[in-house]
Amino acid sequence: MKALERHRKLTTIWASEPGFRGWFSTVNHTDLGRMFLTTAFFFFIVGGLLAMLIRAQLATPHSAFAGAEIYNQIFTMHGTIMMFLFAIPTFEGLAIYLLPKILGSRDLAFPRLTAYGYWCYVFGGSMLLVAMVLGIAPEGGWFMYPPLSGPIHSPGINTDFWLIGITFVEISAIAAAVEITVSVLKYRAPGMSLDKMPIFAWYALITALMILTGFPPLILGSVLLELERAFGLPFFQVDLGGDSLLWQHLFWLFGHPEVYIIFLPAAGVISTVLPVMCRTPLLGYGWVVAAAVSLAFLSFGLWVHHMFTTGIPHMGLAFFSAASTLVAVPTGIQIFAWIGTMWKGKPDLRLPMLHILGFFCTFVIGGLTGVMVAVVPFDWQAHDTAFITAHLHYVLFGGFVFPIFAGLYYWLPHFTGRQRFFRLGEFAFALIFVGFHVTFLAMHWVGLLGQRRRIPTYAPEDGWTTINLISSVGSFVLAIGIAMVLLDVILHGLTFYRGPRNPWNAGTLEWAMTTPPPAYNFASLPHVTGREPLHDDPELPARLARGEGYLGTPKHDWRETLTVDIASGRPDMHVIYPGNTRLPIVMSAVTGLFFLSLLLKFYWTVPVAVAGVICLAWRWVWKQGRKDDLEPMSLGRGLKVANAAMSRRSPGWWGTAFLLTANATFFGSLLFGFAFLWTVAPGWPPPAWLAASPFELGAGLAGAVLSSGAMRHTMRTNRKGGKPVLGLILTLAGALAIAFACAALMTRAPAPVEHAYGATLLVLGGYGLFHACLAALMVVFLIARVRGGYTSSGRQAEFSIVTLWVDYAAVIGVLILLVAHASGFSS
Amino acid sequence: MKDILRILIAPLTWLAAFSAIYGLHGVLCASGISGQTLGISWVRLILMGAYILVILGQIALVAVLYHPKFASRSSFVRFVSHATGWVGLVAAIWSLAPVVMTSHCG
Repeated sequence: MKALERHRKLTTIWASEPGFRGWFSTVNHTDLGRMFLTTAFFFFIVGGLLAMLIRAQLATPHSAFAGAEIYNQIFTMHGTIMMFLFAIPTFEGLAIYLLPKILGSRDLAFPRLTAYGYWCYVFGGSMLLVAMVLGIAPEGGWFMYPPLSGPIHSPGINTDFWLIGITFVEISAIAAAVEITVSVLKYRAPGMSLDKMPIFAWYALITALMILTGFPPLILGSVLLELERAFGLPFFQVDLGGDSLLWQHLFWLFGHPEVYIIFLPAAGVISTVLPVMCRTPLLGYGWVVAAAVSLAFLSFGLWVHHMFTTGIPHMGLAFFSAASTLVAVPTGIQIFAWIGTMWKGKPDLRLPMLHILGFFCTFVIGGLTGVMVAVVPFDWQAHDTAFITAHLHYVLFGGFVFPIFAGLYYWLPHFTGRQRFFRLGEFAFALIFVGFHVTFLAMHWVGLLGQRRRIPTYAPEDGWTTINLISSVGSFVLAIGIAMVLLDVILHGLTFYRGPRNPWNAGTLEWAMTTPPPAYNFASLPHVTGREPLHDDPELPARLARGEGYLGTPKHDWRETLTVDIASGRPDMHVIYPGNTRLPIVMSAVTGLFFLSLLLKFYWTVPVAVAGVICLAWRWVWKQGRKDDLEPMSLGRGLKVANAAMSRRSPGWWGTAFLLTANATFFGSLLFGFAFLWTVAPGWPPPAWLAASPFELGAGLAGAVLSSGAMRHTMRTNRKGGKPVLGLILTLAGALAIAFACAALMTRAPAPVEHAYGATLLVLGGYGLFHACLAALMVVFLIARVRGGYTSSGRQAEFSIVTLWVDYAAVIGVLILLVAHASGFSS
Repeated sequence: MKDILRILIAPLTWLAAFSAIYGLHGVLCASGISGQTLGISWVRLILMGAYILVILGQIALVAVLYHPKFASRSSFVRFVSHATGWVGLVAAIWSLAPVVMTSHCG
């Protein structure tokens, strides 16, 4: 087959629908990556405009530009949009666009999940924007502390928009994190062992794992606060056994890792772009990987440093102060690795490099002020002042926006296949750099003079007038710079000035394809022998186009790729992707109906939405699979591997495992919350304890043992060619017993609206009931699949996946029942 | 996956231990335990015991990561897992040092 014929055939198989209809049905990572990035930059512009309004308000004393209520909405939406609707989705978009290309694959692990995540993001973000346009936007600050955000002090719908909208958007983040984790671990080019992975993939993997473990505490906090607001369950009301500090713990358990979730992908961009700009490999690749892993873990041990002024005992403060200073070490290792790379190479001061230099100046200052506020006595003075606002902008703008602009200009020729004609970008960089530092250096200063953050106005005699005016002028210079970047990108898109395939002479695989990239990425998949395959073999793009790699011969109109062993990069599975479908957008719309029903308190539509999601999820999975066993597939170059459906560790199994990791973090946070309230909240003991029931406890424990044991027996029976239905029915019975015990716990939880103890038991029971029902539903699905002929002794992937869910339901069911009934016994 | 585990295990253990000792500190303070042995309060003694256990655990992890029987075949994974092993140990010593230095429950 000739290269052109191969290209045409692959394009027919992989292309999205033409025109705007394709936006709604595409599951292609290139399309969705671009859509994510475009939407994220739209939100960046909106958030930036809000920042301008803030600076307009603070430019002069006694400003009448915006009233206090509107001003509260403006700064809350600015923070919320920048954190949740710009920074994280930008990482997701970049990773979704880039990862399969730099890893040498044809798409991400779960293309429909990518699309579902994108539409959840769009719908959730739109909810917040609509609230803002209607003047009912959240107004409690981006960290939404109760009791201010509780039902007593914020009775309107504003806070609900934040809690429900952000939770909806976070579905997108969790979906993307699962997607990215499995893709980096499994969907790589043959031969790409862990030591040969592009450095960006390491950063993306670490960030995705952080999202999986960092976001669930916030989702839990949002659920608990919404339950308090909607149904009066008093998790954060001190007089009823709650504690507002619980919110701060849950929020910052998410919020501090969030800073590194934002920084690490940007560091990945720098580690990728900088060596290319310096024309030398990255210095200390292994050290950089170790530093990034260390940074990720250390960042989870810092959350209390946002709570130094809450009256926590000195020893607790000292733990987190020490951990906060420690985090400077792995950050420093990365900075020195980058400086060493520049020292070793020959830096070429092209536009991406200018933004990297902007990053160095800005982020290092932000890091140093971070060490200052890690010191408790200083933090007590600076807490909640403009100094902190300035510090976080130095970290986030320096640590994210400059690197992302570097990445934007670096990969722009890849997105479009063109090269820049106009040179607005260099001038824009100068304006951004100067404007940023004028704005935020001044803000450090005025913060040290005592200006609180979030104040709507101030008096002339405070002595902050000139500094605030300077800061506001700087912010408008910054805004003009960013507008020029936007203009530069638009002009780039409108100027048909064809660029070379690899304009930077980079060594990574994304430059081995034509640009803009074809829907299938690679005509055939490469075999990788080093970290910079294009430098190792400059002829690689031509050889891949000729079909000399793996899967070079399209067959059966399948969208094919392969997966590899995690450590060695040895091919281990053949994968067939689903095609274009509108299922993701429909399912995210129905998911949105669920959240909207909760928000508007149309509770009668909630079960409709839940039933809709179940039906669509059923269809989602049902469409996959085959009724015949596939023989081992030839990948080309004399290699044959089994299809994923014939494997116990299919991509779906890996995705489920990582989704359950996030789920377990949610559950762990819930148990932490229970323990925290019990030991720290002042309103304990509760007026009444749960009356422990040996019968309910025994039924639940027996159900857990039965479901887990029967499911294992069923898997063995199926593998040996036996009939699995009886075992599945026993599994179902076990799951229903867990559901019964958890439902009984919910009905007997003592007065949930009168004390946080009963409220927590209610939530624990609800969590157990939900998972038991989910496991039961999956078992019913599996019975239908067995009866429909979709499984066999060879096609066992679905059994392994359902086993994970059944085991999870059993484990959390046991823990919930033991914790709840033990509290009753001990009383 | 074992190689990923080798890289993650030491900092993961530190994180678990750090959170556990912070939680233990909260529980001990809430329980109102009082009394002294050798002029050292029982709360501090318990926390110091936990601190020593954590350090010993991290030392054991570093030793395991260096042991040929458990080490990865990949030199890259060996290097990174050794580095993160030391990170776990140093982080444990440094971040939990306040148990022997600062006042507790106040």
